[in-house]
Amino acid sequence: MKRLIAIVEDEAAIRDNYAAAFTREGYAVRTYANRLQAMSAFAARLPDLAVIDISLEDEPEGGFELCRQLRALSPVLPIIFLTARDSELDAVSGLRLGADDFLTKDLSLAHLSARVNALFRRVDALRKPEQAGDILQRGPLSLDTERMQAQWDGKVVLLSLTEFWIVHALAHHPGHVRNRQQLMDAANVVLDDNTITSHVKRIRRKFQGVDPQFDAVQTVYGMGYRWVE
Amino acid sequence: MSLRLKLLLLGLLTLVLPWAGCRYAREMESALREGEQTSLESVAETLATSLEGRVDLLYRAPTGPDAVDTAALSKSGPYDLRPVALAAAPLLDGYSEDWPHDPSVWAWYEKDAAHRFGVLTGVYERVLFLLLDVRDAHPVFDAPGASPLDPHGLGDRVWLGFQDPAGGERQVFVAASGPGAVTARYVESGEYGQQLAQLEPRIRGAWQLTPGGYRVELRVPLSMLGAGFGVLVDDRDARGGEPLSYGSLHPDDLRTLGHLIMASPDLTTYLAQFSQPGLRLAVTTPAGQVLARVDALKRVAELAPAPPLIARLYRRFVDQPGTQPPIEARVAVYDREHHNVIGELEVTQTPDRWLRLRDRALTRMLNFTLATSIVVVIAMFAFAAWLALRLSRLRQASESALTRTGLVTSFPDTGARDELGDVARSFSRLLGRLNEYTGYLRTLAGKLAHEIRTPLTIVRSSLENLEAEQVPSSARAYLDRARHGSERLNAILLAMGAATRVEEAIGGAERTRFDLVPLIGSAVAAYRSAFPERRFSGELPAGPVTLEGAPDLVVQMLDKLIENAVDFSPPGSTITVRLGLEPGAAVLEVENPGPPLPAGAPGHLFESLWQSRTGGDNRPHFGLGLYIVRLIAEFHGGSASAGDLPGGGGARFSVRLALTG
Repeated sequence: MKRLIAIVEDEAAIRDNYAAAFTREGYAVRTYANRLQAMSAFAARLPDLAVIDISLEDEPEGGFELCRQLRALSPVLPIIFLTARDSELDAVSGLRLGADDFLTKDLSLAHLSARVNALFRRVDALRKPEQAGDILQRGPLSLDTERMQAQWDGKVVLLSLTEFWIVHALAHHPGHVRNRQQLMDAANVVLDDNTITSHVKRIRRKFQGVDPQFDAVQTVYGMGYRWVE
Repeated sequence: MSLRLKLLLLGLLTLVLPWAGCRYAREMESALREGEQTSLESVAETLATSLEGRVDLLYRAPTGPDAVDTAALSKSGPYDLRPVALAAAPLLDGYSEDWPHDPSVWAWYEKDAAHRFGVLTGVYERVLFLLLDVRDAHPVFDAPGASPLDPHGLGDRVWLGFQDPAGGERQVFVAASGPGAVTARYVESGEYGQQLAQLEPRIRGAWQLTPGGYRVELRVPLSMLGAGFGVLVDDRDARGGEPLSYGSLHPDDLRTLGHLIMASPDLTTYLAQFSQPGLRLAVTTPAGQVLARVDALKRVAELAPAPPLIARLYRRFVDQPGTQPPIEARVAVYDREHHNVIGELEVTQTPDRWLRLRDRALTRMLNFTLATSIVVVIAMFAFAAWLALRLSRLRQASESALTRTGLVTSFPDTGARDELGDVARSFSRLLGRLNEYTGYLRTLAGKLAHEIRTPLTIVRSSLENLEAEQVPSSARAYLDRARHGSERLNAILLAMGAATRVEEAIGGAERTRFDLVPLIGSAVAAYRSAFPERRFSGELPAGPVTLEGAPDLVVQMLDKLIENAVDFSPPGSTITVRLGLEPGAAVLEVENPGPPLPAGAPGHLFESLWQSRTGGDNRPHFGLGLYIVRLIAEFHGGSASAGDLPGGGGARFSVRLALTG
C-alpha cells in the first residue's frame, strides 16, 4: 500500500507540482487548499506524512493551527512545514509545535524528496527494534541514524531533521572543520550564513538544555564549525 | 557673514538717526540765529524809535522849542570831554592818587609850551568829578581876604562854563587864596549894577600846588549840567596881572565850546528796563563814543542752567570748532525832524541764548535717537541670536536626520507660527515622508524576496518536474538554462533578504566576552583559502583585545568588509586587515588597493541600498553589505567609516568597536 502524503497549500501551481513530484516518487498524494478541507479529510483518515504551508488562504497562521490539531491526532505523524516565510521566529514556532522540519520554498524538489524519504525511514525504524549498527557513538553523544534520534548522556535531544543532519555531519568526523556549504549539502538544504548560524545556535541550545556544560560544537571563525570531543 | 552680524549691521544703520539729528540741529541753529537776528533788529529798531529826538537823554540837552543844534551836539569836537566811570568817589583833597592813572583819558589844552593844563573828568553816582592839572611856572593865589572880584587881588583862577539843563549858559569860577578846600562862585549882577560873587556851594573841591603848577579837584552835580561844558584857566604870573586865558571856553564871553560827552543817567535807567540776561544795549554817538551801556552779556547763567556734560559732549559733534560770535544789531537814532543822526543804538546778544535753546532740543533729540538706536541694535542682535539659534537647531536636526537613518520623531520649532516654523514643519513632513520611504525601501528587499519566492517556487518546481519527464535532448539545453536562471534568481532572493535576517540576528544576539585577536586571526586565515587570488596581510596586536558582543556577527561584518575589498581590488593584490587600539575602542581596518571611493559617497556608503560602485563580478549587489557592517558596528556600540588611502590608489574601511572596561 502506497504511503499517503497530504499537501496543504493554497497556491495551486505549487501544490500540483509537489503532488506530481511525490506521485512520481510512488506516493499517494492528497492536496488541500485550506485548513478546514484538510481537517475534515484528516478526521476521516490520517495521512502518513503532511506537508503544510503556514499561511492558508484567509488564515495567515492557519498552518500552525493545523499542525497543532494534527499533532493532537497523532504524536508520531511526520509533519513538514514548507513556507515562503523564512523568519527565525516562524521556524522556532513551527518546530515548537512538534513539526519535524521547517523548510523554505526555495528548497529543491530533490531535497524535499530526500527529507520525505528520510522521515518515512524514521517512521519505519521506530516500528522496528533498535539495531546497534545504526548507532554513531561520539563520547556522550549517540546518534541513531535510522531513527534520526540524538542522545546525550543517554538523554534524548529532540532535533529537527535539518538539525540532526548537521549534527551528524559534524560528529561523523570529529575535529574536522565543516564549512557551511558542506553542512548544507549534508542537510539537503540551501541556506544563507545567518540561517546556518541560527541552526547551529539552536542545536547548541538544545544540547545545553540537557547538559548546560555542552561545548562540543565549536565555531571556527571564517571557516565553519567542528565537533570536539 | 553670519545672520547675526548682518542684522547687527542693519541695526547700526539706525545710527543715521542721531546723525540726521545733528544735521537738523545745525540747520535749526542757523535758522534760529537768523530769527534771533531779525528779532534783535526789530527790538533795536523799536528802541531807537523810542529814543528819537531824545537829546535830553542822550546829551542832557533841552528838547523844547529853544532846542540846541542837534547836529552840533552829535558831532564830536576838540573841546568835548568824555568822563570816565569812577569806581568810587574821589576824596576832594587835591591829590590825584584816587583817580585812574591812565594818561589817555586826560584832555589837554595849551596856550603855549609853558602854559597847558589837563582835565580828567569822571562820573560817580550822578556827580561829575574834575581833576585839573595846570602847568604853571608861577602859580599865584588870590590875595587873602580880598574880594574875589577885586582886580588887584586876583591870582590864578579856573572857570567852568556849562549849559544848564534848560540850555542857558552859566559860568562859575574857582579861586583860592592858598592850598585847601575851595568852593565855586558865580558872578551876579546886583540890584544896582554892581557885580557880586555869589557862592555856588554845589560845586566845590580842593586846590593843591604841584611841582610844575597846581592841581584842582572839583565836584559838580550832574543835575546842574546840560550838554555844553568847558574849562578855562586864567593864568596870571603876578597877582592882579593881565590873565592869560586858555581852555575850552570862548575867551571873550566864556561860552561853551565843547560838550560833555555823557548821556543823562536816565538813559541808563531807560535802557535798563529793556535789559535781559545775555543782552547788551549800548547808545553811542555817531562817532562811536559810548554814551550809555547796559551790559548783561555775562549773565547768561540766568537764562538756563548750565548744559549737562552729555550736552557739551553732543555739542562737540554738532558745532564747528571755535566760539560762536554774538549777534549784533546797529540802528541809528535820529533827531525829531529825522534829519540828523544823533546817535546809534547797538544791541548785542550772546550766542548762548539760542545755543542753549538748541542744546536742550539737541540733547533731547540725541538722547532719544541714541536710545532708539541702542534699543534697535540690541533688539536686532537678540532677534538675530534667537533666529540663529533656531536655524542652527533646525540645521542640526536636519543633519542628524539625514546622516542617521534613525527615525526623527520630534523636529524642533514645529510649533512656531512664523515662516521658520513653516520651514520646520515642512522639513518635518518631508523627513517623515523620507523616513516612511526609506523604511519602505529598507523592507522592500525583504518584502520583494518574500513575494517573489512563491512564483519562483512555482517555476523551479515546474522545471524539476519537467526534468523528470521525457524531454527531447534538443530541449534539454533550454531546460538547463531555465534552471540556472532560476537558481540565480534564488541567489538574488537570498541576498535581498540578508539585511532583514541580520537585523533579526542582531535582535536575538547574545552578548559574550571574547578576544578579538584570535577571532580575526582565524578569519584572515580562512580568507586566504577562500580567496586564493588575493593576498591577505593581518596586522594584529600582541595582547588580547576583549570585547563584549557577538563573535558571529563580528566575523560576518568582517566577511562583508573582505567581500567588498575583494570586489574592488585587482587579482593578486594584497588586502590588509589591521586591528588597532584606541582609547575605549578597538579599530578594525580593511585596506584594499583599487579605485578610490566615489566623491561624496563616504557618508552614504553605509546606508541601506546604496550602490554607487560596480563590482567586478556578476554577484548581485544591493548595497546591503556595508549596511550590514554598520548595523553590526552599531550593535557593538561603534561606528563605521570609509576613506581613500593616503596617496590614493585604494580605499580603507574602518570600524570602531567599543571596548569593555
